[in-house]
Amino acid sequence: MSQPVIIKSNKYGINLILDPVLPFEELLGCILDKFLGSEKFFQNAHVAISFAGRELSDEEEYRIIDTISQNTSIHIICVIDNDEIREQYTKQKVEQYLAAESENTGKFYKGTLRSGQVLECETSIIIIGDVNPGAKIISIGNIVILGALKGIAYAGASGNEGCFVVALDMNPVQIKIGSIIGRSEDKGILASIRERKRVAAEPQIATVSDGHILIEPITKNTFNNI
Amino acid sequence: MSEVIVITSGKGGVGKTTTTANVGTGLAQLNKKVVLIDTDIGLRNLDVVMGLENRIVYNLVDVIEGNCRIKQALIKDKKYPNLALLPSAQTRDKSAVSPEQMKKLTDELREEFDYILLDCPAGIEQGFQNAIAGADRAVVVTTPEVSAIRDADRIIGLLEANEIKKIQLIVNRLRMDMVKRGDMMTVEDVCEILSINLIGVVPDDEQIVISTNQGEPLVGSDAMAGRAFSNICKRIAGEDVPFLDLQKKSGVFARLAGLFK
Repeated sequence: MSQPVIIKSNKYGINLILDPVLPFEELLGCILDKFLGSEKFFQNAHVAISFAGRELSDEEEYRIIDTISQNTSIHIICVIDNDEIREQYTKQKVEQYLAAESENTGKFYKGTLRSGQVLECETSIIIIGDVNPGAKIISIGNIVILGALKGIAYAGASGNEGCFVVALDMNPVQIKIGSIIGRSEDKGILASIRERKRVAAEPQIATVSDGHILIEPITKNTFNNI
Repeated sequence: MSEVIVITSGKGGVGKTTTTANVGTGLAQLNKKVVLIDTDIGLRNLDVVMGLENRIVYNLVDVIEGNCRIKQALIKDKKYPNLALLPSAQTRDKSAVSPEQMKKLTDELREEFDYILLDCPAGIEQGFQNAIAGADRAVVVTTPEVSAIRDADRIIGLLEANEIKKIQLIVNRLRMDMVKRGDMMTVEDVCEILSINLIGVVPDDEQIVISTNQGEPLVGSDAMAGRAFSNICKRIAGEDVPFLDLQKKSGVFARLAGLFK
């Protein structure tokens, strides 16, 4: 290893990659030098720290943290185990919780979303108004539009393909549910206006079926299947 | 009670300046005291459409920077003494003025005028932010084309976000022959997409091109577009005027046919 200590940042905080063979006392000095060198950058930061590249005893971990806290203005909030399986598990649990929660809770938004406006929501959302072309609505859960959907709707934004989009007048440019995207057919504005005049709008629902976005009229049976 | 009205569209070339010139002149014909402000700094042209370019001494940026008093920069119209123009600067750019300064200026002009009309530049950048800063209400101009309508929708969203609640629509350059053939969106189609109140429909009229080139607004004349603009002015002033029947032909044969009806 060219450097005995490397500081890397990750989404939780910082990861210290340590030389596996250097004597601990020497390594401690290197760590201190490294942090003092970049103290301006980390000034008063609150970070979680994790270690990699070397097996550390509890005492050694404690001494490293102590050295950093004593000599710099960095606040170490906690130590994270660098364990991929555990991380996967935690991530999965958090997302499952969010998905379940987002389907069971919802928010209302009253008003028309116009071109260029984006509405993001951590729960399901009910819009009382239209979503115009060029506007976008993103929800971790379901989307219900009591009006016309003429723009882009993205339901199940954390990857849940069991979510749905409902609109009284379903005319989207794009619908995305989880990772599945469906787009409108290619036709001009005049043709679509003509078609909408010919066929009266009815409430429709978009769901994922066989890896595709399926849009169908809402019937009594529809809600039994969701 | 004076009102500050911004005339805007998002897209360029749909008729903001022509509308500002005609609505301003039309309101002056109704004996209102009106001032037009060209906020398109760097692309000055409202003065040309009004036929007042040769009278410019000071401009909007001179007023903002304190090089002259407001009165010195205001140009009186050729025909209507109760109509004035504050021209834009041609040698500067949009950053020469801030929204706060525009608001202060329009507030000062309120004391003397009934209507302050702001001709907004195309786009949604600083020029737009300057133009809407002091406005009480907005007139959005669009043509019956997808691109203009999409931009108008974006503009309406921005106006709403800036707490301008009274927003009205002018559909400009409508061609009834194309609408009848099904090749152009109808006024109803446009209104359905934008869902704001309609204040006027102006037909596509070659007389507009002629009047613009002459520097004499068409409003008040017998041409279809002139009558449409007169009606818009009355509606802005609060009168309830029915919409023109644009289907009506005004040629000799149509008039003859009318005799036998």
